Order: sequence, then C-alpha cells, then structure tokens
Amino acid sequence: MAQLRLIARRLIQLAGVMLGISIVTFLLLHMAPGDPARLLAGERASAETIAAIRMQYGLDLPLWQQFITYVANLLAGDIGQSLRFQRPVSELIQQFMWPTLFLTVYVVCLAVPPAVALSILSARNPGGTADQIVRLVGIAGLTIPVFWLGIMMSRFFGVSLGWFPVSGYGVGLAGHLHHLFLPALSTAVWLVPVLTQSLRAALIEKAMADFVTAARAQGASEREIFWRTILPNSVLPTLNLLGVMVAFLIGGAVIVETVYAVPGLGTLMIGALLGRDYYVVQGLTLVFAMSTVLVTLAVDLLAAFIDPRVRA
Amino acid sequence: MNRTEAVTRPLLEVEDLTVGFGGFAAVRGVSFHVQPGEILGIVGESGSGKSVTCRAAMGLLPGTARAGGRVRLEGRDLLTLGDADWRAIRGREIGMIFQNPASHLDPLRRIGSQIAAPIVRHLGVGRREAMRRAVRLLDDVGIRDPERSARAYPHEFSGGMKQRAMIATAIGCGPKLLIADEPTTALDVTVQARILRLLKDLNRERGLAIILISHDLGVVADICSRVVVMRNGEVVEQGPIDDVVSRPRHPYTRLLVDSQPSRRTYPDVKTEPLPAAPLLSVEGLSVSFAVRRGLVGRLAGKAGPFLALDGIDLQIAAGETVGVVGESGSGKSTLARAIIRQNRPSAGTIRLERQDVHALAGDALMAFRRRVQMVFQNPYDSLNPRMTIADAVAEPIWRHRLADRRTAERRAGELLELVELPRALRDRKPRQLSGGQCQRVGLARALALEPQLLIADEITSALDVTTQAQILDLLLRLQRERALTLLYISHDLSVVSSICQRVYVFKAGRIVENGPARQVLSVPRNPYTQELVSSLAQLGPKKSASISVAALNNATR
Amino acid sequence: MTDAPTTLESPPPARRTTVSMMVATAILGGWLCIALAAPLIAPYDPDAVDIMNMLSPPGAAHWFGTDQVGRDVFSRVLYASRVDLFLCVVGVLPPLLIGTTVGLLSGYFGGVVDNLFMRIYDLTVAFPFFVLVLAIVGVLGPGLLNFVLALTLVGWVSYARLVRAEVLTIRESEYVQAAQCLGYRPAAIVTRHVLPNAIGPIIAYAVNDAVLVMLAGASFGFLGMGAQPPVAEWGVMIADGQAFVQQAWWICLFPGLAAISLGLGFAFLGDGLGQIQRRQAAA
Repeated sequence: MAQLRLIARRLIQLAGVMLGISIVTFLLLHMAPGDPARLLAGERASAETIAAIRMQYGLDLPLWQQFITYVANLLAGDIGQSLRFQRPVSELIQQFMWPTLFLTVYVVCLAVPPAVALSILSARNPGGTADQIVRLVGIAGLTIPVFWLGIMMSRFFGVSLGWFPVSGYGVGLAGHLHHLFLPALSTAVWLVPVLTQSLRAALIEKAMADFVTAARAQGASEREIFWRTILPNSVLPTLNLLGVMVAFLIGGAVIVETVYAVPGLGTLMIGALLGRDYYVVQGLTLVFAMSTVLVTLAVDLLAAFIDPRVRA
Repeated sequence: MNRTEAVTRPLLEVEDLTVGFGGFAAVRGVSFHVQPGEILGIVGESGSGKSVTCRAAMGLLPGTARAGGRVRLEGRDLLTLGDADWRAIRGREIGMIFQNPASHLDPLRRIGSQIAAPIVRHLGVGRREAMRRAVRLLDDVGIRDPERSARAYPHEFSGGMKQRAMIATAIGCGPKLLIADEPTTALDVTVQARILRLLKDLNRERGLAIILISHDLGVVADICSRVVVMRNGEVVEQGPIDDVVSRPRHPYTRLLVDSQPSRRTYPDVKTEPLPAAPLLSVEGLSVSFAVRRGLVGRLAGKAGPFLALDGIDLQIAAGETVGVVGESGSGKSTLARAIIRQNRPSAGTIRLERQDVHALAGDALMAFRRRVQMVFQNPYDSLNPRMTIADAVAEPIWRHRLADRRTAERRAGELLELVELPRALRDRKPRQLSGGQCQRVGLARALALEPQLLIADEITSALDVTTQAQILDLLLRLQRERALTLLYISHDLSVVSSICQRVYVFKAGRIVENGPARQVLSVPRNPYTQELVSSLAQLGPKKSASISVAALNNATR
Repeated sequence: MTDAPTTLESPPPARRTTVSMMVATAILGGWLCIALAAPLIAPYDPDAVDIMNMLSPPGAAHWFGTDQVGRDVFSRVLYASRVDLFLCVVGVLPPLLIGTTVGLLSGYFGGVVDNLFMRIYDLTVAFPFFVLVLAIVGVLGPGLLNFVLALTLVGWVSYARLVRAEVLTIRESEYVQAAQCLGYRPAAIVTRHVLPNAIGPIIAYAVNDAVLVMLAGASFGFLGMGAQPPVAEWGVMIADGQAFVQQAWWICLFPGLAAISLGLGFAFLGDGLGQIQRRQAAA
C-alpha cells in the first residue's frame, strides 16, 4: 500500500518533469543565435531553401503553436527527423542505443564490486595505511581525464600488447564484452573512487551509530553487526549516488564512445552536433533526459524497498 | 552486619576501576557493588564518568580506552575476558538500555525481529519461537496490540514505546542485571514516570537487578534503594538513598541535593492584584501549520492543518513572573515564537499594551523589539559560532543605533560583567565556552536592548542541575534589579512553580489549567495537571536549613 | 562558579594546515607561476611549425618531443596551462556567485522564489550534466566562450541547491531566530549570520568542482566543442595527437599528465579544506 502510494506520487511528479523536459528541448533549438531555419538549412543555403524549410517545419508559426505541435508529435512517438540521414530520430536511436546500454551496465558491473571491497577495507580502520592508500589512489583516479586514459590504454593494451580491440562493438555477448572492456575500464577507473568515497564515509559514520552500540550490548558478533546492521544502513546514500552516476554515464558515454569508436548514442550525438543535425540533437537530449528520470525513479523505488522511512 | 547480607554474594562488584582515554583518566578508582535484585542508582552530572563506568562493566568502551581494576560478575572477572566470552555475557547475563531509544533501534528492521535477535543468538531457539517470545515481551513491557507492533518499524513508534521496545530487547534472555543509562532523559515527564514504574515492576516481579544511571537525583531517589554519587570520574559518596539525600556528607552531594528545584527556595513571590491593563495579552490565539502533503494526499482530502495552538487566552501584567508548563508538542514554544513574531497566528491577537504585535511595522516594530526579548533553549545553538561573545552582545546595541560601535562594545562589557562572566572570556567564540557560560551570554544579549518583557524558553533544560540552579539565581536577580516582566517556559513543573507567581498548564495546544503557582502544584484540579504533578520525580520537601549562595560557591571550590 | 574555571585556560589551537593543503599549495602555486611565466620558460614558440622536426621523440632539443607539424610539445604544454587554469577560474566563479546568491534568497526567504528555483532544479537534474552542456554548446556553436556560458547556465543550479540546503538548516538555528527577534534587518542577518556559517562547504565543493570543470574543458577541447585548434589547450593537444599515438605517444602523454597534476592540485586543496572543516566541527 505504502509502495503503491509512493509510486503514484512519483508518477504525478514525473508528468510535471516530463513537460519541463519537453519545454527545455523545444527551446534548445530556439536558443541558437539567429534564424532556426537558417541553422537547419546550413550556412550556404539560398533564401528560397530557407523559406521552404521554414514552411516545412512550421517555423513561421507563433512559438506556442510550434510547441503544441512539438508536444503532440512527442505524444505520438515522433521525436523528429534527421536531416542528414533522412530517417526518423527514433529509428536512429533504436539502432544506436544498444552499445550505450551495454556499456553502461558493463561499467556498473566493473565498478561496484571493487568499490564495495575498497570501502570496506578503508572503513575497517579509518586513517590506517590501507585507508590512506585507497584515499590517495581515489583522488588520483578522479583527476584522470577519461578520454586521455582511453587513448593511453588502447595504445598500450590494444596496440602494444594486442589484448583487446581498440574500436567497435563486436558480435555476440563475448564479442561485446571483449570489445567494450577497455571503454568500460576507462570509465570505471573514474567511477570506483566516486562510489568508494561515498560508501566509505557512510560505513564509518554508521559504525559509530548508537544502534551499533545497542547491537553490541545484545551480544552480536562484529561480523553479524557489520553485515546485518552497518552495511544495510550505509548503502542508501551510495545507491542514490549510483543512480545519479548511471545517468551521468549515459551522458558521459559521449567521450568514451568517441575515443573507442563505439557505435552508440554518444557517437551519434557528436556526429549530429558536428554535422549540425539539430533534430537529432534535440531528440537525443530528450531521450537522455527521459532515461535519467527513469533511472532516478528506479533508484527511489529501490530505496523505498530498503528503507521503511522512505515509504512513509 | 546482618547475617543474610553477609552470605549473599554481590551480583556485580566493581573494584578500583580506572578508565583512561590517552592521557586523560575519565574514571579513577571507582568501587561499588550491586546485590542481586536491588536497584542501584548512579548519579552525576555530565563528565562525571557515570556512563563510562557502566560501559566498562559491559565491555563497550571504545578501542582507545584502557580499563584497569576489577569488575566481577558473580565472582568472575570481566575485564580479562576475550571477545567470545564477552558476547556470551552481553545481552544474556547483562542487558542494557540507553538514553535515546530512537537512535539505538535499527531503523531498517522490524521491532519484533530486533527483539527476537538476541533470543535466537543466546538461547538457541528457532526464529519462529523467538518471534512468539518477542510478542509476549512486547506485551510484558506494556505495548498495546503486541502482534501488530512486532511488525512495525521503529519510526512508527512514539518515544516512550521505543524505550519499552528497547527494554523488551534487553530483558528477552532473562538477564540478571539491567544497566539503564539515562533511560528517561529524552522522554516527557509523564512518560518518564511510566517507564520508571515499568522498571520497578520488572525488578519486583523478575528479581531483576538494575543499575540506573541518571543526572537527575529525583529520578534515582524515586526507585533506587542505594545510590552512588560520582563527580569528575570519582565516587564522592555512596549509601542508602535516604541517608544520602537527607544527610549528605560530601559538600558536592549537598550541593546536588540543594540544587534540586523542589529543594530550592526563592524569595517569596508577592501575588499582587493585577493592574487593570496587562502588559501583554493574548486573546484566542491559534497557530496552525500546514501539514505537508503531496498531490495524492490532497486528492484524498485527508487531515487538515495541524493546530499547534488552539484558542489560547493569557495575560501578563507588568512586573509579573508567569510560567508556562507543558510537555513536548504542547505548543508552549509556539506561543513564545508567536509573541516574537516567528509564527503568524491563524486566529486571535497578541497585544502589547493594546498594540497588535502582528500589525506592527517600521519604527513601531523596532520599538517592540526593544521592549520584548527572548532567551533561547540551546546554549550553543543560540550564539553565532563565528562571532566573539563580546561582538554578539554589542551587535543589538549599535544595530538599534542606541550607541556608536565603541560605546556599544563598552556596554557589552558591562553586560557581560552583569551576568558574571570573567573578563578573560570576552574574545572567545561560543564553542570555547561551557553551556552555562553560553546561556549567560544569551541573557546578556537579550538584556542589551533593556527590554521590559523577557521570554525564557526552556533556558536551563540543556544544563546540569547545579548550573541550572545558578542560571535561575542569576535570572531572578536580574529580574529584581531591572524590574523585568518574565515569561518562563519549561517542561519542569517544579522549577516553574517555585519561581513563578502564576502558571498556565499547556496540553496539545490548549490551556488545561491556570492559576497561582502554589495552588496549581498543591491542589491541581485538571486530571492532566494531576498526572503531571504526580509524575514529578522529586526529592521530598526540604528538611535541612536553607543554604546560601555563598555556601554553594564554597562547596564547589 | 562551577562552570567557569575548567575553561579559563585557552584550548590548544587547532592545526590550521594539513599535508594535503601543503601539497595543493605547491602544485597550484607551481602551475600559476608556469602560466604567468610561460613566455620566459618556454624554449620555443608554441605555434612555430618546424617541418624538419615532425614527430621527433623526447630528447635534449625537445624535452617532450614534437608533434605532427613539428611544434614543441613542452612549450605547448606550458602555454596551454594559461588556457586551462583560466578555464578553472571562469568555469567555477560565475556559477559559484550566481548559485550562492540564488541559494541564499531561496533558502532564507522561501516563497515564490524558492518554489521557482526548486522547479528549475528538478528540471536541470533531469538532464545528464554533460549532455545538457554539450547540447547548449552545440546549438550556440563550439568555442571556449560558449562552453563557459553553457557551464554557467547549468552549473549554478547545483551551487544554489547546496547553499539552499545549508541555509535551511541555519535558518532554523536559534542564533538566526535570536537575530530576527533582536530586530536586525534581513540583509544584515543574511550577510552577517547566515552566509559566514553556510560558506565553508560551498567553498570546498567549488574547489572539487574546479577538477570537474578542468576535465570537462579538456574533454570539450578533445571533442572539438571547446577551445579550437590551433590554440594550445591540453584537450585539443590530446585530440591532435590521437591519430599519431602509435608512432608518437608523447604528443598525448604529456598534456594528459599536466591535466592530472593540475587536477590533483585542486583535489588535494578540496581534501585539505574538508579535513580542516571536519576538525573545526569536532573541536
């Protein structure tokens, strides 16, 4: 019952956010300096072409009418047409989304286990040698540019050692895993310290919580206290952070996909930006925002499952 | 010595216990014992080492602490035990409950499962049987509908229920000794009385020995047979409770006994007839807070706004000391906040000499600020941590353009002298002061604008009892010297009734009783006031001669 | 007086500095000197093309080697620090100032401003940070100025959110209530009582944000959306070198190491500030 009410509440909020997202993506095109029709037509287009484009896309209508048309199209599942590919943006996204999704899941799988292990190692003796090393390595990991690490790793593991392919997506699960290993690893090097910092802080804080003292006073062993009390109470903030990070990764895929030439949404985005294919940029931004919202929703529901107080 | 006493071996013996943190000795040479089935009180102020002593007896000291001496449970030395042996004793032989039940329960686990966990662990019974026992235990500690409560989470319980659940968890395995560390400090007085009664019942029915740790001598005197008085890590006195209270040998014990609000005498308050027009009058005051609801809640149309105050009428005459007493959630602080315009009334008016306080603006509002001032509850939180105390006291003077900055600083110095703060402290920040000192600064700051009406909202509730007595003395001295009108708000009926001429008793946003203080305390008419009065855990009326302020100070040197 | 004597002697002064702070000062100070004195230190003109010395490996003449058109990588790394250091400042300060102002107003006064801000916040976090900045830059046109503009447009929101959260706590503190009760003007309360107590965590956040801004700046340069070639910028240099990484690893390696070391400077500064704040809170 409580869960249902939470879901209902979140769905109502979601409708508002979705409307806001569509306003932002709509305005994105109109934010550009100058005439949107000229932008779409390209620098060297003639006056007639521009006029034709203006008619074709309804750019001569008042802004609010254009917006209503835009929302109506969105509701009908039409998020625009690519000028370069002359195909619906939704089709392009369906074609390019799988590598990005695969990569995101891959990164999370690569990053979470070491993050949990390192946090536990660190939090066991705060300020100790292990903790200091984890902290320093973490700080260093946060400052490495992902694209630079990608280039260096593909040069070393890919070219010099020949262990991994340095571009593409591969065929089949094993092929995907093999091809995307370096991209996933370059991203995980940055994600692990982010998660470790958060979980380490929570573990240390909760280890000093009163309910841990109480459990000790009831004769619980340290092992039992850690797994049954400290850890469950510590994961929530990190889980929320992981949600934010997954959304960030979906967007951050732009860089790593460019470096490793992975045919994903990021590559599509960069191509569209450089090729001034604005409806693709607009559609992709919308899809990125929608997936962020969905990830956030999933994390909220998961949090409510873990913590009874969130349900209330 | 009586023969039976001689053969009964003590349940717990603490001998020459010393606990050090680094170079600092928190507990020095503490010895006492607990007989089977008795309730021993340990009383002391913050920093007296009473909690550390009991945590040492439970093996719960932090890793940085070093314990020396001997702690024997039925003859077995505990301090030399290994970790596994300790675990067999904690929760099995000795149970423990704590000050803040809300933070000591795991928020993610159901109450029943938390009570059942030690039973499964120590008695080797199955989960299902343990859950059955958990439900029975909840019933035993007086929780209604135990079946359903066992499935609840801690945040669904009130403070009193949480402490009952903690007690159920601690006694589940039938321990011989229960250590209760300030078990009622975080609770309202009426709830406190019920929890103490529960502890007493458990002691009688199960022969459970209890160590009750408290800062409140009244609470200890209420249910303990013997008492240990601690100060600065040492035992200053111990013995049967009646002896210690009525014939304290150590000067500190005497100070402690005489600092009890019920034991203090204040200059007799004159009850003069009220002048025709009161200084402050509150008429039909209601304050409501919107209950935060989502769209779904609004669609379902549930529960209207929460009424924190519901039709309050109250008058304060110039020069009078009026008390407001009530438990948490009674609306007494909302009243104070409404008077100083922090909360807007939803109905009714507050007038200061016929001026509607909430209609003021501009210069008239500034004039009102100079006439009505307030001292807040939390000594540290009420001072800006980034300002020196001299700056904090000078600020109102120059901001109200009563003097230039230089003169304001001089006046601040005089005010700090008035509240008896040493000159050397003036350039300190609040966190370098003690709680009592901070509260003096708060008083000085409130007096900087030379107000007529001073509101004091729970100003001593965060302080130790001896400090509380000093702050009250100071407040009353200032009130006399400066002809202040005082609105004194507190949860402590005994303090209010001893310093106020009239009291209002608040409950759930309404006034349930009001009248002359002595009368409300001695012959309460309203059932709630009666319960409040009977809940007062206090020492009996004073037998010894009154003690002067000079003697108080001598005792502490 | 029982409560006076114990605290009369001064408490030991809290250690004001940490190892992290010293390391940070050394690194950031070093980069600042390099950026200012680049023309004095650099052995070559960063843009001088030398067809005779293309892709020559690190050696006595060219410490970090040369790139595909024979420009001296060492000189370019030094000159690029001017761009990247400048980027950290202009990428952090405007969001910090705007965000702090909005957060203070929104948190302290609440009401319409607060409601409006929270809607903007909900909306902004619905977009992946990188995508939104990228889309804005893409529409406005690639370039450093548009990058900073987009960064400000998106970045102020998280500062405002953080300040607002701090202010909401501080607003409920008794010293702010006391200040209101004493009749101080709102402007005085906000600047003298709220802001000084809210600013600590914000500064620490801003320093850590500088790392992200630096990385984002380099990434945008790499993607061709930030600084434009032939400007010497670490990200741009790495992008230039990517095609030649198999023959000439040095073109990519050294700008990356430079970026890491500057990032470490800010990261250690943030770490040290955090430590000092925790220590003060504990004292």
